[in-house]
Amino acid sequence: MSFRTRLTLWYAAVLFVSLLAMSIAAYFEIGRARSEVLRRAGVPDNLIAKDQQEDFEDVSEILAWYGLPAAALALAGGWWLMRKTMIPVAGLTRAAEKITARNLSERLPRTNRGDELDRLTAVFNDMLARLDDSFNRTREFTLHASHELKTPLTVLCGETETALRDESLSAAERERAASQLDELRRLARIVDGLTLLAKADAGQVALKLELVRLDELVRDNFEDARILAEPQGVRVELTVCEEITLPADRHRLRQLLLNLADNAVKYNQPEGRVTMSLRRADDVAEFTIANTGPGIPPETLPRVFDRFFRGDPAHSPTVDGCGLGLSIVQWIVSAHNGSVKIKSAPGQLTTVTVRLPLQA
Amino acid sequence: MRVLVVEDEKKTASFVRKALQAEGFAVDVCHNGDDALAAVRATPFDVIVLDIMLPGRDGLSVLRQLRDRKNATPVLLLSARGEVNERVEGLNAGADDYLPKPFELAELVARVRALTRRTSENKSTILRVAGLTLDTVTHRAQRGGRDIELTAREYRLLEFLMQSPGRLCGRMMILEKVWEYDFDPGTNLVDVYIRRLREKIDAGFEPKLLHTARGAGYLLKEPA
Repeated sequence: MSFRTRLTLWYAAVLFVSLLAMSIAAYFEIGRARSEVLRRAGVPDNLIAKDQQEDFEDVSEILAWYGLPAAALALAGGWWLMRKTMIPVAGLTRAAEKITARNLSERLPRTNRGDELDRLTAVFNDMLARLDDSFNRTREFTLHASHELKTPLTVLCGETETALRDESLSAAERERAASQLDELRRLARIVDGLTLLAKADAGQVALKLELVRLDELVRDNFEDARILAEPQGVRVELTVCEEITLPADRHRLRQLLLNLADNAVKYNQPEGRVTMSLRRADDVAEFTIANTGPGIPPETLPRVFDRFFRGDPAHSPTVDGCGLGLSIVQWIVSAHNGSVKIKSAPGQLTTVTVRLPLQA
Repeated sequence: MRVLVVEDEKKTASFVRKALQAEGFAVDVCHNGDDALAAVRATPFDVIVLDIMLPGRDGLSVLRQLRDRKNATPVLLLSARGEVNERVEGLNAGADDYLPKPFELAELVARVRALTRRTSENKSTILRVAGLTLDTVTHRAQRGGRDIELTAREYRLLEFLMQSPGRLCGRMMILEKVWEYDFDPGTNLVDVYIRRLREKIDAGFEPKLLHTARGAGYLLKEPA
């Protein structure tokens, strides 16, 4: 039940009770006054009782003919009044609904009338400002952290690589250094991904839009995926690839496609399959990539685009990656005003669908 | 060959120097921009490795200053900022190559070496290394009179390697030139493609032409 309906019902109840009280009061007042007059005129008591009966009928009549329409009118007025009161609240609700982590810098429009609603809007805007500030601090922190990490990482990578060049290293030492270098490079990729996402959050990454033949990128990506999948015996197919040209950032689209293909191959079973397609649907380009992986349980599905989210470790113990691939995919898609959806269930095909607008 | 390394981070400067020295370069190191400009005035260098973030005068300003003075020494920029458009900015300022930190040492060495050989690039339409030929017009590859079937990507990779035989190519360099990736995809694409290419051009033939250099580079060359 909406607040407006509830208020109107309360209003109707109050109206009903007061009308009833008024009628009862009127009945007694009229009755008492008339019996007084009649008694003074020497009218016998039994006749006075009969007159009282008439009084009751009079009052009910007045109530029916004048009271009820007035009440109906008041009720309608009440309903209208509630609506008028609630319109700014509804506006506030709609405006507040649009606020997400991405547009915290926006503020709700104020009427500046100084009334209760305007004050509420002001309080709300102050709260947004505080939220925005703490979000910005977190973003800046991530950005600074990823910058600061790069210098020691460069030194670590470089020195480990230098150590590996030492001919006098024993096989065991060499293996240890090589394994360290692998991990350091993984760390470097994580830091790279974090830097990219932190910059994207802060709105510091500008896309370089140009007209791109998406089908060519998809075909290239298909070739790469086929090669990447070979060692695991995974078969890669490209079922449809319609010719599509759209305004986009070529490098970011390549990154998007490679991340998706890499995931589809990595989270697959031996002898599994990866199926890609590119179609035009109305005014969007629709790219889908499906794989025969173990499937994602419904409770973790909404979180797969989260940074560093890896799902149940028991299901993917051997997969190596930086944990940011899908977050980067999501950023690239939304930077192009597109959408990305994932459909999956345990034991079923996992399908990722990316839609990109054909017009900028 | 003399290389100037301009890097304020002492440890980084030190291992870069060691790696380049191990490859037979003479290396000078400066820790700030003004010293670098003074060094370049005093000594001719074949390549300058220049960090962008330097105390005081930054790398880009050093680079502009050099180019203003009509100094055409090839410059490899290093940067920890990893700005997407920094590469473009650097190349516009007159840099010849750009490498984001953290980099692979082999990659850095490969790029420095590539810069020293920039002028000797093979411009002919038929590339030849030992018995291997690649026609850049018809995309036809042959070795020992036998045709070699190549996919589009394999062709581009082979073409890139054959353009400067003997040049050491790092993984990132190959990803940039052949795949046009400006990011590290974190996959072993290059290694897998090299392996496939090696099967096609080297299996059953002598001598072997496609070599893996220690570290993380590849090169195509005739045995000396």
